[in-house]
Parts: sequence; structure tokens; C-alpha cells
Amino acid sequence: MNLKKYLVRALHRLQKGPGYTYKELLVWYCDNTNTHGPKRIIKEGPKKKFIWFFLTLLFASLVFWQWGILINTYLSYNVTSSLSIGFKTMKFPAVTVCNANPFKYSEVKHLLQELDRLIEAALERILQPTPGNSSENVSPPLNLQLWNQIPLVLIDEHDKDNPVILDIFETNQTAGGNETAAGNETDASNGTAGGNQSSCSHQGSDNCTYRNFTSAAQAVTEWYILQSTSILSRVPLQERIRMGYQAEDMILACLYGAEPCNYKNFTQIYHPDHGNCYIFNWGMDEEALNSSNPGAEFGLKLILDISQQDYIPYLSSAAGARLMLHQQKSFPFLKDQGIYAMAGTETSIGVLVDELERMGYPYSDCTVNGSDVPVQNLYSQYNTSYSIQACLRSCFQNHMVEICGCGHYMFPLPEGVNYCNNEDNPGWAYCYSSLRSSIKQRQICIDSCKETCNDTQYKMTISMADWPSEASEDWIFHILSYERDMSTNVTLDRNGIIKLNIYFQEYNYRTISESAATTIVWLLSSLGGQFGFWMGGSVLCLIEFGEIIIDSLWITIINVIGWCKGLKRRRAQARYPDAPPTVSELVEAHTNLGFQQEAVGALPRDEALPPEPGTPPPNYDSLRVQPLDVLGPDSDAE
Amino acid sequence: AATAPGKKITARLKRTLPVRGPQAPTLSELMRWYCLNTNTHGCRRIVVSRGRLRRLLWILLTLSAVGLILWQCAELLMNYYSASVSVTVQFQKLPFPAVTICNINPYKYSAMKEYLSELDKETKKALETFYGFSEGKSKVRRSVDEWNSTGSDFFQQIPLLKVEDFSRTVIDLHSGQKRKIEGSVFHKDSSIVNSGDSNDIIGFQLCDANNSSECALYTFSSGVNAIQEWYKLHYMNIMAQIPLETKEKLSYSADDLLLTCFFDGLSCDKRHFTRFHHPLHGNCYTFNSGQNGTILSTSTGGSEYGLQVVLYIDEADYNPFLVTSTGAKIIVHDQNEYPFIEDIGTEIETAAATSIGMHFTRSRKLSKPYSDCTETGADIPVENLYNKSYSLQICLHSCFQKAMVDSCGCAQYAQPLPAGAEYCNYKKNPNWMYCYYRLHEKFVKEQLGCQQICKDACSFKEWALTTSIAQWPSTVSEDWMLRVLSWDKGQKLNKKLNKTDLANLMVFYKDLNERFISENPANTLVILLSNFGGQLGLWMSCSVVCVIEIVEVFFIDSLSIVMRRQWQRAKKWWNGRKRAGSGKAGSGKAGSGKAPQAGDVERQGHDNPVCIDEDLPTFTTALRLPLPRDSPLPRTPPPNYSTLRLETAFTEQLPDTLELGQH
Repeated sequence: MNLKKYLVRALHRLQKGPGYTYKELLVWYCDNTNTHGPKRIIKEGPKKKFIWFFLTLLFASLVFWQWGILINTYLSYNVTSSLSIGFKTMKFPAVTVCNANPFKYSEVKHLLQELDRLIEAALERILQPTPGNSSENVSPPLNLQLWNQIPLVLIDEHDKDNPVILDIFETNQTAGGNETAAGNETDASNGTAGGNQSSCSHQGSDNCTYRNFTSAAQAVTEWYILQSTSILSRVPLQERIRMGYQAEDMILACLYGAEPCNYKNFTQIYHPDHGNCYIFNWGMDEEALNSSNPGAEFGLKLILDISQQDYIPYLSSAAGARLMLHQQKSFPFLKDQGIYAMAGTETSIGVLVDELERMGYPYSDCTVNGSDVPVQNLYSQYNTSYSIQACLRSCFQNHMVEICGCGHYMFPLPEGVNYCNNEDNPGWAYCYSSLRSSIKQRQICIDSCKETCNDTQYKMTISMADWPSEASEDWIFHILSYERDMSTNVTLDRNGIIKLNIYFQEYNYRTISESAATTIVWLLSSLGGQFGFWMGGSVLCLIEFGEIIIDSLWITIINVIGWCKGLKRRRAQARYPDAPPTVSELVEAHTNLGFQQEAVGALPRDEALPPEPGTPPPNYDSLRVQPLDVLGPDSDAE
Repeated sequence: AATAPGKKITARLKRTLPVRGPQAPTLSELMRWYCLNTNTHGCRRIVVSRGRLRRLLWILLTLSAVGLILWQCAELLMNYYSASVSVTVQFQKLPFPAVTICNINPYKYSAMKEYLSELDKETKKALETFYGFSEGKSKVRRSVDEWNSTGSDFFQQIPLLKVEDFSRTVIDLHSGQKRKIEGSVFHKDSSIVNSGDSNDIIGFQLCDANNSSECALYTFSSGVNAIQEWYKLHYMNIMAQIPLETKEKLSYSADDLLLTCFFDGLSCDKRHFTRFHHPLHGNCYTFNSGQNGTILSTSTGGSEYGLQVVLYIDEADYNPFLVTSTGAKIIVHDQNEYPFIEDIGTEIETAAATSIGMHFTRSRKLSKPYSDCTETGADIPVENLYNKSYSLQICLHSCFQKAMVDSCGCAQYAQPLPAGAEYCNYKKNPNWMYCYYRLHEKFVKEQLGCQQICKDACSFKEWALTTSIAQWPSTVSEDWMLRVLSWDKGQKLNKKLNKTDLANLMVFYKDLNERFISENPANTLVILLSNFGGQLGLWMSCSVVCVIEIVEVFFIDSLSIVMRRQWQRAKKWWNGRKRAGSGKAGSGKAGSGKAPQAGDVERQGHDNPVCIDEDLPTFTTALRLPLPRDSPLPRTPPPNYSTLRLETAFTEQLPDTLELGQH
């Protein structure tokens, strides 16, 4: 009941209007508002009034303009970077150590035997083109099946338009036809072009491409890598791990700070490029080690043996250990970020951790854990975190599987796919090399992979010295040989031994962290500052202004309604040309019938009609207003 | 009564469009009016507060607020030109930088024999005389004999000297004479020289040819340095006389230097390299110099996809005195940059594979007024001699060269030639070496002003290099590798390659993350203004409107009041003088003129409507308020009153001004 009464009152209040005119409202607003300009407008004389009016308008537009700029700035999501440098106790980086050579030659010899003999013969051909060479007579016949899939050829480019292509083993199957080929090669070696390598897809000889090399050395190496990859990819993983370097053979001594460590502290991982790699402090099963002191004394000291005598001669021409510092739980991409350590030297590596912490979306386009990248991360099988290198390689491997039907040996496999080899996929080399040189494919991968938000790099200061010194050489080799092989003979030599010191520098971190340059607090205070600066206003002033707008709208609506009603009434009046009878007239018409105009005959019908059109609706309304006036103060008080 | 129509109109005009001066007749009234009506907060309290202590407090508070505002705003202004740094990392396809490779030895020694034979003989003789060292007895004998016969006077002019520091006497290399040295002694390794030591010091003397008493003696603590410096001095003299084409022929060709080349998984050859002649390093070769308009780029990181070259370093053909180390020098730079290989090159070892991982960083500074750097170098008054984009190094070298040409009359050999100048040699400029050393000393001591003129460039690209070395070729692959490489080298080389003649170099991007460090203005005008607004609002709720008010009241209005006062006084004084001259009636009128004015002031003090508080009167002030008049319309809002009141304030004032007008 109360509510109804309240609603009726409210309705009446609404109908009544705010009770003042536009001008009153405006003057009242100007005088009472808290913004600074309007007050002046009404308080000054006409000339100043005009000036102040102009100034107020100007300031208001300035405020809005600058607000626009501020909001724009806010929406552009700028960041500020802060840099901090210093020393703090930090997680020691994970250290991956590999041998540059993936497998012990003594272990893989039986697999590569055919290939080696083939390449030796080919080299013989290239280097000693003079006929009457006796070496071939002694060696058993070569397996030319490998050769025929991807032959090495010489391209004589003396005549640019018609290059002469010569297979090194000129005639295909028979080993006896060598002499004729040899004569041709003499010309070729005079030519500008060196060794070349051709690969054909299995569909037919039309689909052949020649990969040109200006240097025979390069051609031979590439060719050998391609062939050996194909051979080794058929070997099961366990076997491959066995053929690589074992931790106890490779890691001779280990010291972390003052604590001794040994090969058991290293996690083994199989890396397709480098065979068995060993990771110190990877943090997969155990807690990552912290280092709280700078300097070589408190870092990691390693002595490695790379046994250079057991290298595969054609596979890797550089000898040394490959090592890399990386974050815990990340996969080491040695080809990209690895460094070499030379045999017979002591390599000291001072580390500075260079970190970049970025804000994610919408500030910059980076990914926190790679879950929003549309590439299947193949390296997740190692339980490692996302990185851009992992993404790019996964992207390549996925394309490879899609196009060539098999996976490349250098990258992990998606489920249910096998590695490429010459027997099952005869055209894979062609497919791979065309994919590898495809710029489009690279661009797709670059576009779909995102960098991580936390970018950590290890800045290394590398220095080297000869180790062991001539004076200490003897006893060091003795002890190390004894410890490893339990023999009194020296089984190590200068060409295989490497010492590594990895430690934090005096300043061990440099962190660049981003923070939002414009927060909502910044935006509000800047908006407030602008408004305050030009007009001395605040949010309350805006509310005041809003109130005025509502009030004026209210007045407008009431006026419009009033005007409409007026219009209607006028129309109604227009239909009855005479003025409508007043109340007294009507009353009299009822009481004093004699006063009525004479309309003989139509009298009974006329009696019903006149009162209805005679009372126009607006009149009622205006009547109602009077009693409602009493209600007015009441509702105001509310 | 019947006034003239013109006057009526002006009176009417004055009523409708009153010319209003200040709203108060006196300064104190003006201040009072201002304090009550101003939009700033503190002022009002001063006037409204009752009690001396409270008023004093408010005055203090207001003043300190003003002080704080001024201080903070000054601080804001001073910090306006500060920059904030932003670091962005972008993963993208990166342009491969230009890689310039030089042999450490500039020219083939065998080819240089005819130019350098005399100098070498001289050097060997010096070695023999001072240190008793000889390579082979017969060889030296012969050379000494030859020297006796050919004897160059240039070597005599600047001979190597043995200084006995004790007695300050020198022994000449040729004559063996002892003589006293005059002039100043410069020690190249000054702090190490120990005068009490029995060791003799080797050095050389440079004299001003025009004025032989002006001599400088350069001594070195070690004979190694002395002989190298001395050799270099003469070497530059000789090289300056050889034309560029000949020098290019004397140096290594691309075929000589580059054995194999491999880039981004594809083979490359000498056509990808551009020759660049460096005065001190001979022919250098720049990979990806961008000269044919295309700049190569890499879209994959890692050693396979970078540049791999095998260099042929012909160790046997090295100049024994000029360079003492073996290998190559490389520098990674932008295509537009000049490679200052002698300053910032990285040396490459032979018989090793050097892998250089790059990390790309681009930096950008804000130029004036944020920092003192130059965008293009166009605003630096030093001519760029290098034909490459501006850098600090280029500026310093150009500046020195210019000073050299100005003061010595010829150009130094290691730097490019300015227009119209030629390189120094002692046939044409016998005096140049003394001049050069003097000038160089001035340059190092920053007396030439080059360091002041030259500014650093605003944006630069940097490739951070991580260098590591592996043994190459490995012992097992050495055999076939060398054989195949010898075959690659072709028939031109009739001997088998040695592994110390070879260097393997890999230059690649470690990752394709480009770091871009840029400075941005920390403040924009908008932010400065909003900070101002924040300060003004916080302390006094002031805005630009208040500032305008202050200007209006304190400058325009008070000035006009003072002026009016002065005008009235002057008028009064003038009238008084006139009256004093005419009669005594004037004095009475003057008195009557003054009385109403005082009354005005008093009245205004009490019920000057503008004094009335419009918001929240305190209790005491509320008591003093005049009762609000009955309003005929209950809903007419308060503003009407005050505007009306203002009107009355002015009408009351009007007679005053009218009176003035009548006088």
C-alpha cells in the first residue's frame, strides 16, 4: 500500500517536472558548480562574461582533447623496463656436455664400413685422377647401391650454358669401367666448379636437383652426413646410446664448489647431432643447485676426455667438446647456442645471467608456457619446457612428416611415424632438401611460433689457456688414466683432454623486467590532473553536470508532452469550431433545459452527446495540478 | 531634468553595458573580495577565520601550500626531459650482418720485396748491432755490405738509437757516435722506464726539419716495441708512395684468401664477397656488403645456417717485422658502417674452427634535448671522409685527418684522403713524422677538440659475439681434409696445404631474437599538465582559472585601483591648487567629496554582499549574516540573488565613478 502510494507520488513528481526553467537551471548550475569557470560567467559583467564563457568552453574542449590522448595512451599498453644488476644467490645453470663426434668409430665401424670404402674410393678418384691406380684392384667391390641413390658428381662449368656433369664412378655397375671415367675427371678438376651432389626423388629422373658446392670438402661432408643419417636411423635407440660415449669414459673429474661430484650427477640425454650428452644440474628429478659465491673457486670444474682418436673421420672435422649452458628443465639446442671447448686447453667460462621478464598479452605478444602456440611441441616427450627453438624444430618435423611421410633423424618423432631411411623412403633426401631450402616453410614456422615471455640468456666470458702444462702433464695423465682404466699405462693424451671451469661472475645477473607504464590508477590520476588543471573539477563535478543534463532532459520531456497535449487540444478544438462549453455552462445545461438551443426532433440524441466532446482532456490535467501542489513539498522532502 | 539625448544614451549604455573596473574601491577591499570569491581554498579561510592565531595559521598554511606547489611544479618541469627505456624482443627473420675478413698480414711479403728490401736490411742491421742477433751470418754480412753501398738518407734521418739514460747520451746505429741529446724525451711506456736500470733503452728521435733544435726522442722499454714502431713508421712512408691499384695487386686476392664458403645451407663463392682495401690490412673481403642491392637474411638460427668459410692464411709469406701474429681478423658490422678492423676486429686462429655466435641488439637514443647525440651526423662540423654512415669513430678519425692536413700539409696513411690532399711521405714532406707524432699526442690528450666536437650516434646496431674455438681438422680427419682442400685450391698451389695455413670460421645467429632497446620520452605535455593539475588541485584546489583570476586581480585590478587612486589624488591636488588660487570655497567641497567615500567603505565592510559566504558559514560568520530577504518565488535558486547583489554592489559604486566623470 505504502509502495503504491510512493509510486503514485513519484509519478506525480515526474509529471510535475523539476519546477524551474532552463535559464534558472543554468544559472543555478553555474553559480553552484564546483568547476571553476562557470561561476565567473554569471558573476561578471557582459564583456567579461563573454570572455569567461569563451575561456570555459576552451578549457572544457582542452580537457576533453587531452583526455582523449590519455585514454589512447592507456589503451596502447606501453611498458616501462627496469634494469637491475648485481649478485645474488642464483640457480646454477644446467650444463650440457657432449662430444663433437656422436659415436665411437670403433663401435659403428661395421655399419659405416661400406660407406667409408665408397667415399675413400671416390676421394681417390677426385684427388688422383691419373689412371693406373692400383688401390682399386686390392679392395673388394664397392657397394654401389648406396651410391646410385645419391651420387656425387663433378660439374664442369667452363661452358656456362652447357655444364658437363660427370659421375665420379662413370659406369654404373661394373667396377672395371673406371679408366674411362678417370680421363674425364682431369678436365673437371681444371674447371671452376668443385664437387657436387645430386639427389633425385624416387618418382623418376626428371625430378632431380643438383646441390652445388664450390668446395669438394663441403660436398663430401654433406654427402656423408646424408648417407650416414640414413644408415644410423635404422639402428634402435638403445643401440645408438651404447655406441656413443659413456659418462664414465667421458667425465673424468668433477667438482662443484668444494663438493666432489662424478658422472652419476649427470643426466644422460640422447642428442641426434652429438650422440650421448650429459647434463649437470638439469633439475628434473632433484632440486637445482644454487651458487651463492662468485668466482672460479665456487663453480663447476670438469675434466673431460673426448678421445679424438676414435672420431668418425668424415662426419665431423672439428674436434672438441660441445657444451651449453641453459635453464633447468629446458632442452639443450647445441647447434644453436652451444660453444666449443678445445682439446688440450683449460676453458674458463664466466657466466652472467641475462634475464628478460616480459608482460604477456596485451602488452606484448609472447607466450608463458607455449600452450597457446598452434604447433605440437615434440620436445615435450623429454619433459622440457617450451622454447622457441623447440617450436621451430617441431614445426619443421611436422611439415616433414606431412610432406615426406617420415621424420628427420635430427628431430624427435611424432607418434606413429618412423625416421626416414633410404630403403623405406627412397626419395626422402630430395624431399628434405627441398623442404629445408623452402623459404615459405620457414616463414610459416616463424609466424606460428611465439617467443617465451621470460627470456634467459647466459652471457659467457670465455678465456682459454693451455692445459695441462708441460711440467704437470705426466702426472696428470697418469692419475687420470689410472682412475679411469685402472691401468698404469697412460691412456690419455693432449688431443683428448679438456678442462672446464664454469662459474658466476662478480655480477651474476642482469634482469630487465617490464611493468605496465600506464595503469588504471595512472589513467585516473592523469584524467583528474587534467580536469583539475584546466577547470578545477573532479568526478563530483561530472556528476553535477550529469544531474543538470537529466534535469534539462526532464524539462524538455515535460515541455514536449505539454506541447503535444496542446497540439491535440488545438486539434480537438479545431473539430468543434465553437469554444467548448465551460463547466458552468454544462451544469446550467443540465439544470436549465430551457436555456438550451432549440434543435427540434434531435433532442433525445443530442442529450447524450454534448458532455463528452465538450470536456477536453487537458483541462483535467491542469485541474489535477492544483491539488498536487500540496503534495509537492512532501515529495521534495523525500 | 532635460538632459541632452546623447548623455541619456551614454547613461543608458553605462547601465546596460557598465564599464567595470575593479570591483572594490581600495586595495584591501579588492583583496578581501578576492579571498572570499576565489576558487582556491586557503585564501577564503584567512578572511573568514576569526581570531588572530587562527588567521595566522591559515596564512601560514596557504603560503606553504603555494610554496609546495611552486617547488613541485619546478621539479616536474626539470624532469620533463627525461627518458624512459623500453626493451622489446622480437623473434623474426633477421638481416645477416656484413662480415669483413682480412688476413692479418696486409701484403704478400714475396711481392713486397722490391719495396721493402732496404728497410728490412736496415732492421736486420739494427738487430745485429744492438742485440747481436743474426739470422744467418752470410746473409747479414751481405746485407751490411749492400747497405754501405746504397745507403738511404731517409733511414739516416730517423735512425734507431740506443739511449744510455744515465748520461742522456745516445749511440747512433750508423755512425756509432755518442752524442748528447737535447729536447724533450718521450717514453712510449713511460711508467715502466727505470732510469737507474743498467738496461739500455732503444728508441728513435724525430726532429723538426725546419728547426733542428726541436727534437723529440721516443723511447720504449722493450726493443720489440721500438723496432716494430720504427719499422711501421718507415713502412708507412714507403706504402704512401705506392698507388692504390698496385697495392691491391700486391695484396691477397679473393681466390687466395677464401677456400670454401657456405651460407645458409648453400654454397657460395667469391662473388658474394666485396673487396675493400684497408690501408693497414691490405685487401679485406666483405661478405654480404649489400653493394649489389640485396642484403641476405637468415630465418633459422644455428651454426648450419650461418656463414662458414675456410680461409687460407699463407703463413710463409708473412712480413716478419710488421706483423708478429698469424691468423685472420674479422669484424661483424652493419652494411652502412665502416669496418674499423684495426680497432675492433676479432682475431681468428689458424688450425682451429672458430665458431662465433651472434646476438643482435638494436639501440636507439633520443636526440636533443634528451641527450647529446646526433641522428645523421649532419650537424657535426667535421667532414665525413669515409663515405659510410656516421659513427663516433668515423668522426674522430676524420677530425684527426683534417687536423693533420691543416698542420702538416699531408694526410696520414691509415685514414682516407680528404679532397685535394695526398698521403705523407718523406720525399715530399720530410717533416711529417715529427708533426704527426706531435699532433697525435695532442689528439690523445684531447687538445685538438675532436672529442668535444664529435658526438655519438643516436641509433646503433650491435652484434654481441660469443667466440669459441675447437681443434680443426681433427686428427683423424686431417688427412683427407687437407687433401681435398688442396684439390679445391686447384693447380695454382703446387704444394700440399699445411693445417697451420688454414682457419675455419663459422659466423651464425645464436637465436633470431632481436633486442631493441629504445628510449622514449618519459613525459609528454599532456602528462606534464596533468601532473601540474594534480599538484595544484592537491594543495589548493587551484586550476588555470585560478591563475587567470590571480592575474586579473593582482595585476590588472590592483593596478587599475592604484592608477585610479593616483588619478584621483592628482586631480584633487590639481583642484586644490586651482581652488587655492581662486578662493576658499574649494576646500569645503573637497571635504564633502571625501566623506561619502569613507562612508561607502564602511558600509561595504559590513554589508558588502559579496562578503557573504555562499558555502558553509562558520557559526560566527553565520551570526553576522544579514537575514535572507523574503523571496517572492520559493523556487528561484540562490544564484539570482548573488547576481542581483553584484548589481547593487556596482550601482553603489557607480556614483563614485560618475562623480569622477563629472569632475
